[in-house]
Amino acid sequence: MHRRGLLKGALSTVTALAMPQVARGQASRKLSLLTWNIADQEQLFKEEFADFQKAYPGTEIEWLDKKGTELAAFYQTQLVAGTAPDVVDLQGAIWVEYAANGALLDLTPYLQAEPEFVRLFNGDYLASWRYDGKNYMLPFYIAKTLLYYNKGMFKEAGIFGPPQSFDELLAFAQKMALAEKTGFLTLNFDWLYWPLFKMNGVDLLTPDLKKAAFNTPQAIDVLARLAAATGSGAINKISWTGRWVEPNGAFASNTVGMLHAHSSSYFFVKGQGPWINADTLGVAHAPGFWATPTNHGFGISKSSKNPDLAWAFVKHLTGNRWATEFSRRRKLLTGNIAADTDGLALLRKDDPVAAQVLQTQLEHTDKFCGNWPLPFDAQLKDAFYPEIQNAALGRKDAKSALNDAERAVNRLLSRRS
Amino acid sequence: MRIRSALPIWCFLAPSLVIFLLYRVLPLAWNLVLSFQDWSPLKAARWVGLSQYEEMLFDDEVFWQALWNTVFFIASAPIAVLLALGLALLVNADIRGRNIYRTIIFISYPLMTVAVAIIWRWMFEERVGLINYVARSLDLVTQPIPFLNSFQWALPSVIAANTWQMLGFYMIILLTGLQNIPENLYEAAAIDGASARRRFWRITVPLLKPSLFLCFVVGMLNSFTSFDLVYVMTGGGPGRATELLVTYIYKLGFVQTRFDYAAAVTVFYFALLVAITWSANRLSGGNAGAVERD
Amino acid sequence: MRRYPRWPIHMALLTVSVLMLLPFYWVVKTSVSGENIFAYPPSIIPKSPHLFYYVDAWYYIPFARYFVNSIVVSSIAVVANVILNAMAGYALTRDFVGKPFVLFLFLSCMMIPFQATIIPAYLITGRLGLLDSFWGLALPQCSTIVCIFVFKGSFDAVPRSLVDAARIDGLSEWRIIWKVMMPLAKSAIATNVILAFVWSWNNFMWPLIVTRSADMQTLPLGLARFLSYQEDTTGALYAFCVMVLAPGVLLFLLAQREFIQGLTSGATKG
Repeated sequence: MHRRGLLKGALSTVTALAMPQVARGQASRKLSLLTWNIADQEQLFKEEFADFQKAYPGTEIEWLDKKGTELAAFYQTQLVAGTAPDVVDLQGAIWVEYAANGALLDLTPYLQAEPEFVRLFNGDYLASWRYDGKNYMLPFYIAKTLLYYNKGMFKEAGIFGPPQSFDELLAFAQKMALAEKTGFLTLNFDWLYWPLFKMNGVDLLTPDLKKAAFNTPQAIDVLARLAAATGSGAINKISWTGRWVEPNGAFASNTVGMLHAHSSSYFFVKGQGPWINADTLGVAHAPGFWATPTNHGFGISKSSKNPDLAWAFVKHLTGNRWATEFSRRRKLLTGNIAADTDGLALLRKDDPVAAQVLQTQLEHTDKFCGNWPLPFDAQLKDAFYPEIQNAALGRKDAKSALNDAERAVNRLLSRRS
Repeated sequence: MRIRSALPIWCFLAPSLVIFLLYRVLPLAWNLVLSFQDWSPLKAARWVGLSQYEEMLFDDEVFWQALWNTVFFIASAPIAVLLALGLALLVNADIRGRNIYRTIIFISYPLMTVAVAIIWRWMFEERVGLINYVARSLDLVTQPIPFLNSFQWALPSVIAANTWQMLGFYMIILLTGLQNIPENLYEAAAIDGASARRRFWRITVPLLKPSLFLCFVVGMLNSFTSFDLVYVMTGGGPGRATELLVTYIYKLGFVQTRFDYAAAVTVFYFALLVAITWSANRLSGGNAGAVERD
Repeated sequence: MRRYPRWPIHMALLTVSVLMLLPFYWVVKTSVSGENIFAYPPSIIPKSPHLFYYVDAWYYIPFARYFVNSIVVSSIAVVANVILNAMAGYALTRDFVGKPFVLFLFLSCMMIPFQATIIPAYLITGRLGLLDSFWGLALPQCSTIVCIFVFKGSFDAVPRSLVDAARIDGLSEWRIIWKVMMPLAKSAIATNVILAFVWSWNNFMWPLIVTRSADMQTLPLGLARFLSYQEDTTGALYAFCVMVLAPGVLLFLLAQREFIQGLTSGATKG
């Protein structure tokens, strides 16, 4: 009986709280921004928005942030419903999919109208967002792979200096592989492991991107050696099965000789590994200076109701003032040349190792690999990578793995071209 | 019989039916229609007949691997349920501290799946994981066991983690089921001289059939309700060793933007589950396992 | 009275308890020490434990706001579940035309993976004008088939004599549910409450899709903040998970006595 009274009381309270929000009065202009896992920069964004609103009074800015694994689900649901956010931050190659499907606005006209603005950015990185002759994104922050190495473990194994070739890389890794320790670990998402193949002259696809080109004796040899090294413990298995936390966590636990990852790893690893400082952590390029870029860019949704305002907003976020601020606070590179120069200079004083790491990101930008602007990039990864896993973990031999991968990739290419 | 008295019954069913119509039946219909089309979020739809199904059945080894893994997962569900049955009977016994035992068994169920996935991933880790550490400390094995890196052990490992989390759930369903068995039946049987074993098999088991049936169904559905756990623990890897139909559906839809193909797989999966349930229902006497009362 | 020895039961339950608690111990340990779980060999005792991760978890996200949102949504879900499921469960104990079909329909509705319904569910919620609202969050969770069957099972166990007596006394069907059935189905109510709460409390994907404003987010969505790329937030992540776990466990403890056999079977005697 008193339960019923409680029930009634609860029901009315809850109903009152749940009343649908009063329809928003005519907001003159509203912009929504979707970012990819950068919720810790809330303060920075607040300031950026306030600054923008000074120049464009009456603009309401809605900020949404989603983790990478959920961003796609969220964005696509919004696409179907017709309410996609005006500005969207995308990582890696997923933008090509959306661009090819007509979800993103072609920014070329805007870029052509403002050449001085375009000049603010690093040309090599900017060019990575061209598809079908059109530009779709501006750089938000950029990174590419590099080689971190554990100087302590190197010294113990009698190795001096980072490896200069694939052979050396494997040999060094083998030397350091004792008991619980392993010699080498790589990240594997977004094609980050591709430099291992590219440095041996392996290409994924033919230049016209119509057929698989990786089933060569050279590639079979590389894969077989990677598999052997994984089996012997020289290469840590997490390279092939881990995502973000395990590979970085493993390196941070001081049991892995080399980590092949991009600049963001440095900060994560440093947080988990108190042993890391200038004397213990070495920073180098991968042999051959090959690197896979993994960048974040800002694009504008085609369905945006305020494309010009969205463009102004993107310019605001990537312009010198705020890119510099972003680079300073978050210690990364933005692709905006002035901002990066400024940020690096500051970092050299505060955290020389971080500065070293970021410096590598600006060098050898003519040696990008692992980046093919195809709208079905996700499917391509799905067709190719599991076979690499199969071979690397010893389930299949390299030859049959690459054969199967070639079949799957060609089938995909013929279907989608 | 009496049509007038059927009205309140339908009124009672209506609210639930409406919710299921909106959030289950209509979405299924959406998937069904989509499975016969070629569609992407910003393009107009085009009818393509059975070509999605053809591709799925004849041109997709990932589908078959995922199907096999799913069937394996479903087949392992009864083990967890029977384990939970044993636990439910134990904690139902008249012993001291049974409240504590019950809480301990249950506590893993409300824990966020992300935490479960990360911890179990660590426990199974080949070099630094707890299980290998214990096994090697006790000299049970010489080589570390590559649980989540191995193609044979990855899926059983994921199932083990899932079982750990589900035991609490099965337990409370079965405890409620045990509640429904009147004490006086046991007492009468005891007076008649029935042994504990007879009482168990003649009274407990038959009257637990509805709860057991429910647990088996939920166990079967675990092959997709465990999505979060599988996705975070292994992402379907290594290779396709832990790829389930549900993770494949999710990837097809939200990673590869192939909602139409994902819809075909969904429809197939639904049909498969319905077929299994229907057969199980017939085998257990119909009426969702409910027992005819006198 | 009982002629079987107790200690084997205790042995078995103790073993099970240790196995069940082991992973859980590590979650709690990491939440107070934030150690890298990949350190080898694993340490049993936490090094320099402190409670600051719990403070972090509170401050990294708008914990209070998210908490309140979760409470509202879960309250709606729990109350709706108990009422709707009891009604449907009762209906299924009666015979009526089309009963096998309805039973089958309910069973089949369970077989649809949520991941395949995300987009249509969002569109439907949009049509209903419930996007980004508490009812939009709660509606899909207001009735669950498992719990309907739990009620059905408990209602089936109520002797027909009682129900017939109530009908002869002139009680309407509605009152039969609340006056006759529910008092005898306390265990089913407890199960419903616990499950509906846990499912709506931990639900992650649906709130992610259906909410946009920052102040409508529910607690699990705060998780993203602890899975950041740049910082190591493992300690805070686990502290957050423990904090999210607490209400569910509390609820279970409160409802414990409903699972003790014998307490509710009194009415069926004589």
